[in-house]
Amino acid sequence: MRPSLRITAHPLSIASLAVALASCSSDSREPFRGVDLAAGAPENLSDMNLMEWDGENITYAPGVERYELNSWLFSDYSLKDRAIYMPEGTAATYRDEEVFDFPVGTVILKSFMFPADFRTPTENIDLVETRVLVRFEDDWEAFPYVWDHELGDAVLRVQGDVRIIDFIDDAGVAKTSNYLVPQKNQCSECHLLKDLATDEDYMTPIGPKARHLNRANTSAGETKNQLVHLQAHDLLVGMPDLADVGAAYDFRELLAEGVANLDGPTVETAARDYLDINCAHCHNPAGVSGISSQLFLNYDNTDAFHLGVCKKPGSAGKGGEGRTYDIVPGDPEASILIYRTETEELGAMMPLIGRSLPHERGMDVLRAWVAAMPPDDCEVAPSP
Amino acid sequence: MRCRPLLSCLALSFAMACTSTGDGDAGGTADGETGGEDGGNAADYPLHSCADVEGPCVEIPAGDSDALQVAVNSLEDDTTVILATGIYEFDNQVTIRADGITFWGQGRGTEGSFDEGTILDYAAQTTQSNGVDVVGDRFTIADLAIVDAKKDGLRIEDSDLVTIQRVRATWRAVGSTDNGAYGLYPVKVSRVLMEDSEAYNSADAGIYVGQCQHAIVRNNIAMGNVAGIEIENTQFADVYGNYAEDNTGGLVIFDLPGNPVVGRDVSVHDNIVVNNNRTNFAPQGSTVAAIPPGTGTFAMASRRVEIFDNTYEGNNSFDIAVISGLPIQGDREKWKLSKAELVGDVTGLNLLEDDTGEFVYNYRSDNAFVHGNTHTDTGAGAPNTNFDQQLGLLLQIVYGASPIDAILYDGWDETSFDAMDPALNSNDNHICIADTAADGATFASLNMETLIANSGVLADLFRPAEPYAPFDCGDFVSGPIQPPSL
Repeated sequence: MRPSLRITAHPLSIASLAVALASCSSDSREPFRGVDLAAGAPENLSDMNLMEWDGENITYAPGVERYELNSWLFSDYSLKDRAIYMPEGTAATYRDEEVFDFPVGTVILKSFMFPADFRTPTENIDLVETRVLVRFEDDWEAFPYVWDHELGDAVLRVQGDVRIIDFIDDAGVAKTSNYLVPQKNQCSECHLLKDLATDEDYMTPIGPKARHLNRANTSAGETKNQLVHLQAHDLLVGMPDLADVGAAYDFRELLAEGVANLDGPTVETAARDYLDINCAHCHNPAGVSGISSQLFLNYDNTDAFHLGVCKKPGSAGKGGEGRTYDIVPGDPEASILIYRTETEELGAMMPLIGRSLPHERGMDVLRAWVAAMPPDDCEVAPSP
Repeated sequence: MRCRPLLSCLALSFAMACTSTGDGDAGGTADGETGGEDGGNAADYPLHSCADVEGPCVEIPAGDSDALQVAVNSLEDDTTVILATGIYEFDNQVTIRADGITFWGQGRGTEGSFDEGTILDYAAQTTQSNGVDVVGDRFTIADLAIVDAKKDGLRIEDSDLVTIQRVRATWRAVGSTDNGAYGLYPVKVSRVLMEDSEAYNSADAGIYVGQCQHAIVRNNIAMGNVAGIEIENTQFADVYGNYAEDNTGGLVIFDLPGNPVVGRDVSVHDNIVVNNNRTNFAPQGSTVAAIPPGTGTFAMASRRVEIFDNTYEGNNSFDIAVISGLPIQGDREKWKLSKAELVGDVTGLNLLEDDTGEFVYNYRSDNAFVHGNTHTDTGAGAPNTNFDQQLGLLLQIVYGASPIDAILYDGWDETSFDAMDPALNSNDNHICIADTAADGATFASLNMETLIANSGVLADLFRPAEPYAPFDCGDFVSGPIQPPSL
């Protein structure tokens, strides 16, 4: 099992000590960045000295790298800002399939925000929370920080929060999210994997894998591949030629083209990568929360049955909605997978946490994928 | 009382030892200011209190759900969490991810009441989640009630050495499809003891021991559920002293296809399984939606199952059925499991193999031993059966006005069948029936494949008098059931 939470032993005394030290030291001295691993996660996000929020923009400290993913990881339409900090002089080690091997002391920051109106996404932004993953000596650990805009800081809130967030989507439709700030322990619902060799569970980030990070971003007029950028700044070692690095489907293409204009193989790739990032953190053979379903949605699963094709669920409960199989090829409306990823009924929704609304563009991709499969009603008479 | 994680102490603001170290305003994270001093009122903790506990312990003031959430999300291993008498209301689940946690309330109250003892009430839950959701070894939970969870009441997954005692999981609405799925649900747990607990009104299974190894399930009550007690894909289970009434199906044992834990060695004895005639209210399409009202017990796709010394009464379809998994999943390939991926102990099971010898199938029921049960008022017919429950409908058609036999074997995959001559019936699957007419037993072998195809009549069944040859064997060919070792 995993180690237990390291809570700051004396949050206030350390904070006041830090303030005292800061006021004594010379201004030119860089503040401590990241998380003091011996002390544990601080009470306030600002104590990490990694990011600031001025009410309109996030500013990251030197040494903090912002990054984006190829895939859409849906969280009730919230906009996300991702960044990573590795202690000075350290670097991540490249791995083909798994999350990169990050050095002890790494801090990953993921901030969730809602503009009041997604047609003007840089205005009237409600920054809700910043989730923090910290690489301790023996394991990753996750911490939810909730923004207190009166305080001007985000505060560790292990018990999470549930709040109602109203916004206008990019088509001008009013939407309301029952937004869940996960409890500290709920982080493990998505971030816990099992080492099948030792049967030990361990925490892991989800996004920073080669195939998700392998994309070009344009920043300040300059277009650069993210992996190349990290490598050039000595933040990533052991990377092969970029040409040999796989890439997940870049959903910017889908956003630009629309699913109807993609060819069949592209739709399949997009759908599999959508399932991979949104579902496969549980639904993979080592996903602690997903093994029992025997439904494996990782992009490299080649077993049609475990992908859900004509597979009866182990225990869909009300998630079945009268449907019999996870995927009925050619028939999205008969497929449990489509129902569960789209419904808003509590007790039937998938993913288990992280959404209260359906992701319309994601659903378009999944439907198109299932509809394009060679039809099969999955009904087989018992053979004598 | 000791109190280790300072954050919890500050947030809970009840521990003298901790508050004395601060400046009184130290609880910056505290939302819960409802606690009294030093663990509150002793009257709130009549059954358990930290005074009785060695090691880290926190008491949660009555009704202070936020304090509870802070505490469970800040737990060190081997902490005892004690809830007071009272109602705790939640908009999200209680999530426990630590080892050695003891989680105690002050009593589970009596069914029908929602204000006695310690109540964890999820009626206001706005996120989809379970009631109490646990991953942690050496977990103990006792003396509380979990009410109206959106999904499962108590879910414990992927853990070792779990003890569940005197816990009640229930939903206020009776017979509602909108209720949560499972009441008490250890899944993928090794070494689990569940006793003196209760489950009511779940829309799937009240007590569901799934994919577990080494389970004792004893002296529990399951009422008003679709499936009362379910032992699924589980190895080495001793299930006794339980009471299942007014469910759609009382106490059932089965394997589902595609699961690498192949069930085995399940002993079901000294249970009372009565009047399980509730109209099936499971969500359409769920596995248990196929359970006919009036079901006492079935063993489906199961091997090495012993069902003995139970009391069956008033189950309108049948008391005990031993059936293949093929009627619910007719494609044998869906039951194919690679030997390499099998979990747990599969020695001596003689599972069917494919041509390569690398895969096995577990749809067959074999080595079932049924003996010494009593049967009263069985098989009157269940008019509330619907088209999802094909076995129930088939029985009604075949039996007509006659009572359905108490003990049924579907005879799937037998090499030979004859309605009259015992010598012309094979018993390849080693099904042993030793219940007696004196205790109300009657037995039929259904030859189900043909029966489904031809929708036959009563004369098409093999309905021997005792000793039911060739189903009169008296033991397992592969040795007696191995009890669980906890």
